[in-house]
Amino acid sequence: MTTNHRRTLANRCNALKSTGPRSVAGKWVSSQNSRKHGLNSAPDFESSLEYQALVDLIAEEGFSAFVCADIAAGLLNYRRVMDAYYDTYTSPEPVNEFMRDMSVKGSMPIFREMLSASGSEPDDVRDMAAFFAGMQRQERRKGGPVSRRTTDTHKLIRYQRNGIARLSRAVRQD
Amino acid sequence: MPVDHKVSSFLPFLSSPKLLPNESGAEFESGLQSLLSELDNPSPLAVALISQLNECLWWIKRHTVDKELLLHEAMARLLSKAGSYSETYDNRKVSEVLERYLNGRADKDEAAWIDEILSESKLTLSDLRIRAFKDAARHIKMVDDLIHRQHQTIRHLQRSIDSIDYKSRLIKRMDLELAALESKQPVKGALTLDDKPS
Repeated sequence: MTTNHRRTLANRCNALKSTGPRSVAGKWVSSQNSRKHGLNSAPDFESSLEYQALVDLIAEEGFSAFVCADIAAGLLNYRRVMDAYYDTYTSPEPVNEFMRDMSVKGSMPIFREMLSASGSEPDDVRDMAAFFAGMQRQERRKGGPVSRRTTDTHKLIRYQRNGIARLSRAVRQD
Repeated sequence: MPVDHKVSSFLPFLSSPKLLPNESGAEFESGLQSLLSELDNPSPLAVALISQLNECLWWIKRHTVDKELLLHEAMARLLSKAGSYSETYDNRKVSEVLERYLNGRADKDEAAWIDEILSESKLTLSDLRIRAFKDAARHIKMVDDLIHRQHQTIRHLQRSIDSIDYKSRLIKRMDLELAALESKQPVKGALTLDDKPS
């Protein structure tokens, strides 16, 4: 067996062990990986009906065909950013009120009861409480709905800056 | 083309204004109309840009309200932490009652409850507001950034509208000059023919 093959086999065996996050916290983190606004993907305005109609309307104002195409794409791109801005503003990450308001200290007897069935050590109860306390800290740090929507919308500033710069450049290039 | 018709011809492409449930569509429209009335016979593209500008002004309004709401949120959080009325955090209840209290819509019991928590935590309302400002400073700074961004966007849009306006004036002027030249042409031709020595 060659070294290369051995290495590949070893890699595959190790990969079998990696079946994604196992802890609750890890699963929660990975569940947030797909949260996107879609503004990083390259848009295809040219094939849309709106684009052609917009180009025709702008052409009536005496712009060259090249500039018309640029302005139409710039305008649609800016709208795309502002629509995402609105969506982000109106649907912030929901507040997990249970996690935020729960009393970790008060929940210790429940943890103890839950874990005693599986014959756990007192350390396990402490670990569980520490885990929940960490989650609670994280939840509280994010603040209420207004803080959350502010944080989320703030992330879109650079897209808005690029969008308006592109539109403005297109309009003033003649 | 009348302004209303121009707006309606562009709206399908630019999305109709998305308003929040408590916002007035009429107010939004009147803002747009007052901006449009400042331009003489705006072109369709200028109308499209002005509607974007109006939206920016609307966003500034929303973010300004958010600054106050952030303060209220932080005040509720501080009150929840300070009060020994409950073992749990229970932020929502405090938040709702405090909102009514600050708007002067709280009933007698609610006002007494907030006063009790304030006195328990040895705070006045203005102390609480100052602490809340410190607590929410990071988010308030973010809202300021968002407002600043809208101002920058408005500046870009204004420059673009000016450029379109200048361009249309230039085209109109060139058309007039061309028409004047064309009207002079036959007269000139006639003179040159007449001036020719026979």
